[in-house]
Amino acid sequence: MADFIVHIIVPVAIFAFIAGFTLFAVYAERKIAGFVQDRLGPMETGKYGLMQTLADILKLLQKEFITPSAADKILFAVAPIVIFVAVFIGFSVIPWAPDFIPANTNTGLFFIMAIVAIDAIGILMAGWGSNNKYSLLGSIRAIAQMVSYELPVGLSLIAAVMITQTLNLNDIAYLQGIASPEQIYFMGFWNVTDIGGIFAWHIFQAPHLLIVYAIFFIASLAECNRAPFDIPEAESELIGGFHTEYGGIKFAFLFLAEYAMMFLVAILGVVIFLGGWNSPLPNVGSLRLADWTTGLGWGIVWTLLKSLTIVGIQMWIRWTLPRFRADQLMTLCWKILIPLAFVCLAISGLWRILVML
Amino acid sequence: MESLLFYAFACMAIVSALLLVNIRNTARALFLLFIVLFAMAGLYLFALADFIAITQILVYVGGVLILLIFAFMLSNKELLTDLQSASKRFISLPSWQALVLAFAFLGVMIYSYISWSHHMPQWITQSEAKGSIILSTDNNIKALGFKFMTQYVLPFEIISVFLMLALIGAAHVSRKGDNT
Repeated sequence: MADFIVHIIVPVAIFAFIAGFTLFAVYAERKIAGFVQDRLGPMETGKYGLMQTLADILKLLQKEFITPSAADKILFAVAPIVIFVAVFIGFSVIPWAPDFIPANTNTGLFFIMAIVAIDAIGILMAGWGSNNKYSLLGSIRAIAQMVSYELPVGLSLIAAVMITQTLNLNDIAYLQGIASPEQIYFMGFWNVTDIGGIFAWHIFQAPHLLIVYAIFFIASLAECNRAPFDIPEAESELIGGFHTEYGGIKFAFLFLAEYAMMFLVAILGVVIFLGGWNSPLPNVGSLRLADWTTGLGWGIVWTLLKSLTIVGIQMWIRWTLPRFRADQLMTLCWKILIPLAFVCLAISGLWRILVML
Repeated sequence: MESLLFYAFACMAIVSALLLVNIRNTARALFLLFIVLFAMAGLYLFALADFIAITQILVYVGGVLILLIFAFMLSNKELLTDLQSASKRFISLPSWQALVLAFAFLGVMIYSYISWSHHMPQWITQSEAKGSIILSTDNNIKALGFKFMTQYVLPFEIISVFLMLALIGAAHVSRKGDNT
């Protein structure tokens, strides 16, 4: 019975976290947009506009359910649920702290890559179910983009997995800190197993993994349809893409899914490349900073801090760079990112065989 | 609890498969196929084949199904109405081959039920006695990787060459320009 309660509490806690994160992130997004565009952002509701997103969500919850008369009623209603649940179950294999993980499976990373595919189906459902040209165009663009960018994401993850030799996200996080079961070398020559900290992270374990992380980050921006890769939503051409017809709580769920996806790819990058829950502070002589700042509470703090930093960078990029054209988008994916990812994949194999032994 | 989940997945697969073949609306049928594939992936999990389950979602849902939906969306509308205007009866038999296949499969199911409902087949009891069975705590994916790279490396490579051939063929067919 206790097991059963845990099975209910954990998803509820994750959902509460996603909802809280979305409220915070929308506020942060608007403030960052305001800063980048040299204005103040929301200021009216509450002190510094802090209550703005709360007011927004209250407004969304009160709205009437509107279904277009020509829409496919079932698909239209089911699509937001499919999209949100697809992202939501991705969180089930993410480690937050040492052994603090909802489902410690051997196929965690592979599972997340499969789950993203379900998200694509949900977007197609929304686009087709709305029976609206803008929605359909938006969802077709979204799918073309997601299917293309799944390749660089997958290849960059495989390049990292060739170094880690495991798909278990908990084990991957363990391999990047002082608790590592194997020897860690900074750039392949300096043994940092006891030093830990920032030097033991995967991006510093091999020089090409820095490039791999850059590929992963760019491609993951496209996976969650964020600017500069937001042609599926392109407000100026498509009104809002696949969610044009949605309103009220259904729109709230689509919005929740978008921000949850942002956080999911951020935390995935953190776990695989940026040390997961390991402390960035190294042990320096008798100053055992890494030993002191590793543990359950610290793990959650580091994971959150790193992931929120990545989310902040995603927002910064969104308000800095202009939108890509569709052909530029495909050129970047197929002619730059994928060949580069293949080269990194080959280097990973050689690195594993020749350097890491 | 686990058997409850198993029956839930099985019912989901069967009911949505039945709906899938009876439904008029092709778009909804394609999305029902998604539920069928998803439920099948759930059933694979109960056979301790977690790798197969996730591959099922990744390949069929992420690849094949999206391709099917795209093909449906981009195809001619008259062609689709032609497809949909089949028989209107509840049980319709477009051809006798389907009947033969269905009854053959039913025969296999009945045979296996009669012969194995009371005792396991011999090879299962033998391997149980030897202890060569997969447990839910085993690292299946690691064992799979070792097998692919040692014992089955030739079939594995042949499959990858076939996939490469298919890719090159697809790129060649879709290429526009001179036909000389």
